[in-house]
Amino acid sequence: MPELLRHPAGVAGTLLLAILAVAVVAGPVLAPYDPQAFHTLARLQGPSLPYWLGTDQFGRDLLSRVLQGARATVLFGVGATLGGVAAGSLIGVTAGVLGGWVDSVIMRLLDGLLAVPDLLLTLLIVTVLAGGGGHAMLAVAVAFTPGLARIARSAVLSVRTREFVQAAVARGEGRGYIIVREVLPNAIGPLIIEATIRVSFAIMIGATLGFLGLGAQPPSTEWGLMIAEARQYMFRNPWCVVVPGVAIAISALGFNLTGDALRDLLDPRLRHAAAR
Amino acid sequence: MSDDDSTVLSVRDYSLDYATREGPVRALREINLSIMRGRTLGLVGESGSGKSSLAWSILRALPPNARELGGTIRLLGEDLRQRTRREIAAIRGARIGIVFQDPSTSLNPTLTLGAQIAEVLVRHRGLARKEALAEGERLLARTGIARPADMMRRYPHQASGGEKQRVVIATAFACNPECIIFDEPTTALDIITARQILDLFAELQRETQVAALYISHDLALVARVADEVAVIDQGVIVEQAPAAALFAAPRGEYTKALLAAVPDPRRRLVNAPPDIDAPPVFSVNRLCVRYGQTSALMRLLGRAATPVAALTDIGFSLRRGEILGIVGESGSGKSTLARAIVGLEGFAGEIRLGEDSFSARPLLDRAYRRAVQIVFQNPDASLNPRQRVGDILARPLKLYGLARGADIASRVAALLTDVRLPPDFAGRYPHQLSGGEKQRVAIARAFAAEPRIVICDEITSSLDVSVQAVVVRLLLDLRARTGASCLFVTHDLNLVRQIAHRIAVLYRGDLVDLFEVDAFDVAGRHPYTRALLEAVPIPVAS
Repeated sequence: MPELLRHPAGVAGTLLLAILAVAVVAGPVLAPYDPQAFHTLARLQGPSLPYWLGTDQFGRDLLSRVLQGARATVLFGVGATLGGVAAGSLIGVTAGVLGGWVDSVIMRLLDGLLAVPDLLLTLLIVTVLAGGGGHAMLAVAVAFTPGLARIARSAVLSVRTREFVQAAVARGEGRGYIIVREVLPNAIGPLIIEATIRVSFAIMIGATLGFLGLGAQPPSTEWGLMIAEARQYMFRNPWCVVVPGVAIAISALGFNLTGDALRDLLDPRLRHAAAR
Repeated sequence: MSDDDSTVLSVRDYSLDYATREGPVRALREINLSIMRGRTLGLVGESGSGKSSLAWSILRALPPNARELGGTIRLLGEDLRQRTRREIAAIRGARIGIVFQDPSTSLNPTLTLGAQIAEVLVRHRGLARKEALAEGERLLARTGIARPADMMRRYPHQASGGEKQRVVIATAFACNPECIIFDEPTTALDIITARQILDLFAELQRETQVAALYISHDLALVARVADEVAVIDQGVIVEQAPAAALFAAPRGEYTKALLAAVPDPRRRLVNAPPDIDAPPVFSVNRLCVRYGQTSALMRLLGRAATPVAALTDIGFSLRRGEILGIVGESGSGKSTLARAIVGLEGFAGEIRLGEDSFSARPLLDRAYRRAVQIVFQNPDASLNPRQRVGDILARPLKLYGLARGADIASRVAALLTDVRLPPDFAGRYPHQLSGGEKQRVAIARAFAAEPRIVICDEITSSLDVSVQAVVVRLLLDLRARTGASCLFVTHDLNLVRQIAHRIAVLYRGDLVDLFEVDAFDVAGRHPYTRALLEAVPIPVAS
């Protein structure tokens, strides 16, 4: 952690994530108004003293709504990624450890799925499952699984040939011990990095789905949905699109920069370059 | 030692630091050395001693965090430190040549060997491309390559390690440089190839009268090639003398310790012979290992890979407490043998442990695996970086049920004491230990299982000479106390002659020779054994 704060991208990323964390934890408390309250006399306003970031087409306070929406948005991103990591590492580790024809079959199936872009795959799954926040999250998790499985598998393969794993095999250790105690702790690094970066993609896909009406449903304050609802009024008051848009950008950037910094710090070959 | 007309390279009062986040790190202090025309200066030091830093300083190719604190580096009187980057580029390769340790990384894999020699000639000697290629061929012929025209057209991966190093040497000599730096030029090569390269070096040096700086960790080797030797320790040259004088009568404490640590076959470390009449505790009969399995998909398509025999019909036995040395070049199958015996490779044939006989890898049971332990070459790789030393040593105790509960901690402490490490090392992670300390932990882990056989797979080759000696003594001590037998796989012939009772020679997967260590020199040895023996210099008497 202290090293993260010495890395330029790490500092920026951590700062952005800290802002996001405050919004997630204390957003509803900090919000000056009820995010769903209509202030009919102050519709589509720019920033002002009573409404710091302006109001939307119903006169709802944008600051309050964006603070409220942080929880749903971040939860979606983190939840979908964790789901993908869980499924992906299970599949990837299985393929990497068992090898042979199991590996061949799993990897060829994943190759096929990887050929389809994440967003397209998500849309396909969401359409089949019917929309809604929960289903959208599941769809993103499924779409992430092949990529994460590949990473888990290659991490396992590179660790499996290391001599300390060979030593455990020579000792006569069981397969379970070798996977859990010897391989996984050394293979987890690349997965953590990839997951951090992917949270930002998940947030953006979530926002896209919200925008298309396939994700969170009104009156949720999910940021993508906020943009979708306000898009007709975009030219009368840009703020109602810009505010949630910037919020999405901040969180995506935060996760992305932190992920980049983690990658540099966990890779010993890049470590020195980063320090200079 | 004063600079006169025949001094080619002279370094005076040269000091160097590296700037790091933790502050400056000392690399070189007050270095003084000079090399005359036609002479070779050997620079000997252990890893981290600064010997490579000095090579980079002379070549003016220091990393950006290097801080030169003063001194001069003169080539025929002109100070290289005052030269611009462009002037240095013209000097490097033309007037100072370099031969690195590993020819496979110093050659560009995407260019033919001919193109790489020609490039130097075009650039520094201004030859036309056609002339350069012809000259390159002539240079290759001079390095003893059999068909130079053919070699010119090959890519690096189509040449052997020895051939590649010859090409690198030909390139270094191509522009008739005044000075050539050899940075461990034979370390990455096989024993016999290394010997040929060394002979080539001597011959070319005599012929061209180049001034050579020969950097190595290997004292015995430097004794053969150098006229004068400088010993460097922690950035300081601690002793400098003519080679014969230095080896006959070392003055410095460090030099003495270094010389004493060099394995010398005339100084046996193991004396008591094993009980010859006792039945063998371990044996292998007609052991075979084949590589190249056909994948499921390929089998489906009816394309079977032809298996490659890594080991063919290997047979030997071990008596209680015996040390059997296994020697051979890389690719001879000696590591495969070690791996097959500890159940890391599938095998055919028979392995016997006491009364039990095993005929395939899956049959090796836990009792066998406990009795036969292995120590790997590289302790950085063989210890799990995420586990504490205490957990690493406790694992075999738990796995084989040798200790329970509170006993475990005291057994771990005892194991650490056995390998002369303080018991509080149990709380450390491997990266907090030095290479030698890590290897001692790996040895302790093997002996934790109370084994009957310990396989040592090149356990000293990643360690410095002085650390090697400590680790070997420790192993011998543990072996004497526990009565375990030992299979000592190594390429270091002098070391194996110091410790082994018998020696087995592997050549391309065959066991070609097996004999008592005293019978190393006698007539009737296999020709390959003789070739190995002749390739290895016995250190000068100290």
